Order: sequence, then C-alpha cells, then structure tokens
Amino acid sequence: MAFINLNNVTYKYPLTKTPALQNINLQVNEGEFVAIVGPNGAGKSTLCYTLAGFVPHFFKGEISGTVEVAGMDSSKSTLDEWVLNVGLAFQNPFNQISGAKYTVFEEIAFGLENTGVPRNEMKPRVEEAMKLTDISNLADRSPYSLSGGQQQRVALTSILVMRPKLLVLDEPTSQMDPIGTREVFGVIRKMAEGGMTVVMVEHKMEWIANFADRVVALKDGQVLMEGKPNEVLTSELLAENGFGVSRYTSTTREAKKQGLWKKENLPVTLDEAVEGFKK
Amino acid sequence: MHERLSFFVKRDSALHHLNPLTKIVLALSIILVSIFSPWYWTSHGLLLVVIVPLVFIGKVANEYFTSALRLILPAAGFIFFMQAFFQPIGQTVIFNFWFLDITQESLLFAFRIATRITVMISAFTLFLLTTHPSELMSDLTRRGLPPQFAYVIISTLQILPQMQAKAQTIIAAQRSRGLDTESTFFKRIGSVVPLVSPLVFGSLVEVEERAIAIEARGFTSKKAKTSLYEISDRSSDKFIRWGLVILVIISIVLKLWLS
Amino acid sequence: MFEKIKKDFTTMTWVLIPVAIAINIAIGQIVVLLKLPVFLDSIGTVLVGIVAGPWAGALTGALSNTIWGLFNPDSLPWWPVAFFIGLVAGLCANAGLFKNWWKVILSGFLIALTAAIVSTPISVYLYGGITASGSSFITAYLLQTGQGVLSAVLSTGFLVEPVDKITTAMLAFVIVQGLSKRLVARFPRPENAEVESGNNTTQIIIALVVVVVVVALGFVVRNMLAG
Repeated sequence: MAFINLNNVTYKYPLTKTPALQNINLQVNEGEFVAIVGPNGAGKSTLCYTLAGFVPHFFKGEISGTVEVAGMDSSKSTLDEWVLNVGLAFQNPFNQISGAKYTVFEEIAFGLENTGVPRNEMKPRVEEAMKLTDISNLADRSPYSLSGGQQQRVALTSILVMRPKLLVLDEPTSQMDPIGTREVFGVIRKMAEGGMTVVMVEHKMEWIANFADRVVALKDGQVLMEGKPNEVLTSELLAENGFGVSRYTSTTREAKKQGLWKKENLPVTLDEAVEGFKK
Repeated sequence: MHERLSFFVKRDSALHHLNPLTKIVLALSIILVSIFSPWYWTSHGLLLVVIVPLVFIGKVANEYFTSALRLILPAAGFIFFMQAFFQPIGQTVIFNFWFLDITQESLLFAFRIATRITVMISAFTLFLLTTHPSELMSDLTRRGLPPQFAYVIISTLQILPQMQAKAQTIIAAQRSRGLDTESTFFKRIGSVVPLVSPLVFGSLVEVEERAIAIEARGFTSKKAKTSLYEISDRSSDKFIRWGLVILVIISIVLKLWLS
Repeated sequence: MFEKIKKDFTTMTWVLIPVAIAINIAIGQIVVLLKLPVFLDSIGTVLVGIVAGPWAGALTGALSNTIWGLFNPDSLPWWPVAFFIGLVAGLCANAGLFKNWWKVILSGFLIALTAAIVSTPISVYLYGGITASGSSFITAYLLQTGQGVLSAVLSTGFLVEPVDKITTAMLAFVIVQGLSKRLVARFPRPENAEVESGNNTTQIIIALVVVVVVVALGFVVRNMLAG
C-alpha cells in the first residue's frame, strides 16, 4: 500500500460554502518527492494542512473521504500523535519562530524537548540537522535577528530535526536567493533519497523539474493533472488554466510555433533549453 | 527597551550559580520580611545589610545601581512625596502648603513606605539580573510548572520589544501626518484608534500561524517533556530555601504577635 | 470543572496570551504618550476573556502585570486587580454580555466595580492609600476632608475606574468584531463574540449617552475638587 493514501477527500472550512478540496485522490510512495503546483486559491495549502493533520483537527470544518499516512488514519488519530510522523514547514518564516527560545540552537531543540527526546540525544541531533541545512554558524543568534531566508532555514531545520517520516513543505524557499534555494532543494532531495517522503508546494518550476519525482497540479481544489515533472510542467493544459510556467517553457513554446524549436518536448530549465537549441 | 527586557547579565558569581528557584525564594523572602516585619527600620536594614552586599556578591553592582537610578529612585521618590504630602497623619506640622500638611509623622511614614518599595523592586531586580529567563523556566518546568506557562512568559518577553518598536514606528508615522496629541479628550480618544488598530490586528492575525507552527513541533504532545539544559540544584540550595522560608514565617508570627 | 477550564486553554489560547499582554503594554504606553486621562492597559486581558473565557483572561491579567513589572516595578503589586479584570470580563462574556453595545457597557461597569474593590486593600495596606497613580490626588483630598482611608480609596476607585474600564470593554469589543470570523472561530469561545442582531444605531446612541454621562460626571467631580 502507498505511504500516503488520499481517498476521495473533500473538505470545507468552517463558515465557508465552497469546498477547498474536492474529491482528491492521491497516492505517494515512501521516499518519493512530490511537488504540488497551482494558481492562488487552488487548495495547495489546504492539501498541506490535510497531510499534516491540521485539517480537520485544528481547523475543524467538514471532511469526507480518508486520509492515511504511514498506515495511520487521520480521522482515528489526534494531532499530537500525527505530528510525530508528519512534519510541516510553511511560507511565512517569522510566524514559525516559536517565541519560546532565545537562540537558534534552542529553537531547533524545541520540538525535541516537547516530544521527550532524552538530553544526551538532543544535542547531537540538533548539531547534525544544523550542519545539514548549513546554519551551524547561526547557533547562538536570536531567531528574531535573522533574515527571512535564514529564518526559513531555521523553520525547516526545526522540523527536520524531529525526523518525520513525511515532510510537508508549503513554499519553504519563498524568501531565499537562488543559491539558498538550490542548497535547500539539495537537502530535501537528499532526505528523500534517505527514505523520507516529501510533499512540497512550490512556484519555482525550474527547481521542481530538477529535483522532484512527480508533480501534482491542483486547480479549484481538484487534481487537474499529475505525472513526471517535465510532462506536467510543459503541458498546454497548465498554460491554459493560468498556472505559472517557467520562462524557458513559455519562450520555447513561442519558438516552437515559429519552427525554431525542433524537439518534441518543451524544456523547463535553462540547461534543457540551451541543450535543445544546440541540436 | 530591548536591553531592559533581557535584564540578565552573564557573570560568573556565587549568585549566578544558585538554582533559579533559590533566587526566587530569596527575592520573595526579602519582600515578605520587609512587608511583615513589625520594626520600623527593617526595610532600611534589609537594603543596606542584605541587598547591597548581594549586589556585590553577584558582580552586578554597575547594572544594579544604573537601574536603581533609572527605575527605582524615581518610583520611590514619587511615592515618598505623595506620602509625605498626602498622609493626613501626625500633629507635628513641619511645613504647610494649601490644604496639605507635612508632619514629622507623615515624613517618617513616607520614608518607610518609599524604602519598602525600594527593597521590593531591588530584590526583584537582583533576581532578574542574575537569572536567565530560559534557565528559570526550564527549572520551574522541571519542578512541575506547566510548560505552557514557560512558553507564555518567554514568548511575551520576546514579542514585547517588537511590539514596542512597531508602536514607536506607528506613533512617528502618525505624528508626521499631523496627529494631534494636545486637543480635547474625545479627539484624542479618536486618535488612538488609527494608531492602535494596525498594531493590534497585525499581531492577532499572526496568532493562528504561530499556533500551527508550535503544534507541528509537538507543543501539545502528551509525552513527558525533556530539557536541553541541565540546571544544578545542590543541597546547599535546598538548605538556603528552607532557611529563608523559616525567616519569613518568623517575621509573620512576630507581626501577628506584636500587633 | 477542571476539564472545562482545560478546554479553554488550547494552543490558540496559549499563543494569544503573550500577544494580548504585549497589546496591554503597548497600548498602555501609547495612551501615556497621548496624555489621555485613562489607562487602557487591559484591553488585551478583556479580549482574551471574551474569546477564551474567564480563567484565560485572569491568567493574562496576572502575567501582564508581572511582566510589566520588569520595567515599571510599581505595577507588580497590582496583579490581583488585573487577574480579576480578566476573570470578570470572561464571566461577563460567557453570560453573553459582549454581544451588543449596551451590554458591553454593562460589562465595562462590572469590571470597573471589581477593579475598584480589589485594588482597595492593596492600596491601603501597601501604600497607606496614596499610590503612584495620578488618581491619588482625589484620595488625598478625600483624606484631608476627614474621610477614613478605606472609604477614601474606595470612592476614588468608583470615580476613576468606570471611564477607563468601559472604554476598555468597548475597544476590546471593537477589536473582536474587527477580526475575521474565520479567525475568531479558531478560539475556544467564538460564541461569546457573536453579535446579537438588533438596532445597531440605537444601541450605539444609548452607549454613547451612557459614556457621555459617565465622563461628564467625572469632569464635574474633578471640577468640584479643583474648585
């Protein structure tokens, strides 16, 4: 059985009329890195919250269908049990600072303290996680004194250190520069190769094409299309439905119309575009 | 404002090495003895014989006397004047102004109250100067304080300076747009609203995401919590604590007995 | 009983409390800057009382004074007053007294009475009735006219508190109404903030009349004292 199993999930937030998710069916295997794309209001964040247990346990509202992760059924678990298996980091890094800690090191240890990890295990785990995301030099800084990009790394590290089986990320690199983004994607790829399952909402199409195993395109709370990154990200369907498209894809699409792009498939990244034009 | 909120000064002193709870008990004992002791000179004595030496033992003399000048003296001085002028006690009038008499008795009373306030604030300041908030909270959590309390206190200490900084910015911005702080009561009440609403609504909207973030990190986990730091609690700490508790009991008994 | 109280302390409540304390202190400071004759330093406390019940409100109040004590040590001994402000605000909210304007004013008045009563013993025992607050001028005057300490302090409280606490309750009400329903629904007691349908303008007029009368009364008393 798949590691993540969403079966016909429909969900409505309290006080709203239209469902945020409609008949979602999604299966993800262990160690797979799945990217979620979609325009604003497509239900990407709601999907993240559903996987992370906050829908419905935190947000309430009406849910139907089944949500299973790592063999556990969301409707039969409590949120505090669920978060032991599923880690969530989201876009706004400032609001993810717990506020309970004075240094980055303590901030990252917060989740371990809460879940009762013994002290002698805690320190090495925090150090290892900080090394992984390359923030060891920030250990003694106040989390509030950091830049947005640095705070996002701290938020990600604070979740990674808890070693979740499933990592859910909602635009975790929105405030990072290209170098930072590349590093973080590299780390996430490595985690996936180590067996962690990753579901990530992201706008940066080129990075998805380079790192993700599969792409799921959401629109109006429904799955519009899913498949290999290049198939999905270059499809006409996405362009027609107002999805963000990589500039290399849109450029070569024009080029193809004028007969300048000879290959069958369109590129997503710069490298692919350069390669294609060379031939 | 920021440095004031993190009062703690990192030093290597006997006071710094005491267990945080011992230091709370010490501060509270000083305050309670000062309130309950039946003798007039107790507070003055506590200040000179207990607090000042402790300030030097704790190696925080500079910081203590700075805050004494900035915080304690104005508060105590104000209370001294209010008491001296307004306490309608005593017959021996020294000085008279309008309907107000300053008597020898009211002066003595004022001196006592002002010193008591000084002792209370000083004991508290001494405690804050030598105790790191996270150390205090870890220790109290270990002793059974719900971890949520620790969260609330430390989080407030961190949010407050940011909120004050934002308030300063907003005030400056509103002033440059011609905010009027000098007109009638109602106009000024009206002017509070545009000042305060961005501050208040902005900070309240953040609550939801922060709740999600800490929940995702096991804030409501039912497992027994552990702590990153180990906090020492020696037998000498326990000895000091019990000694102080006995002192407080003695002063309360004396007060009840003598009055 | 304990289970019921526990239900009010969700993660949302724990995260709201520090924000509410910061609101208390920040608004309190802005008000001082604007030289307003009120404190308005418990808006956050009342807010928590409304959306998370009496015990969360009480905790917010008590911690607020304790933490404000860090840089304004004089506020420390008054924590029981703040505790009861939060408690009574929460009880009023649970009783449905934060649902329209005239009820909010009633809540403000009840909070004011509580504050006056609870602060009296602290003021009398710790300061001999004369505190560091400006309202002590009234107490001093009453003392000089031969009133006992207890009655002088209590009368001062009854004169000063209503203006402040009614304004506080009204501002807290405005803030809760200004939050999105979606956000309010995340807190333990969203039902406390549901506005009763009714003639809104009439309510505001009644409310304003009451406030004007109270303020006018305050001014009359002040002028009497000054004259």
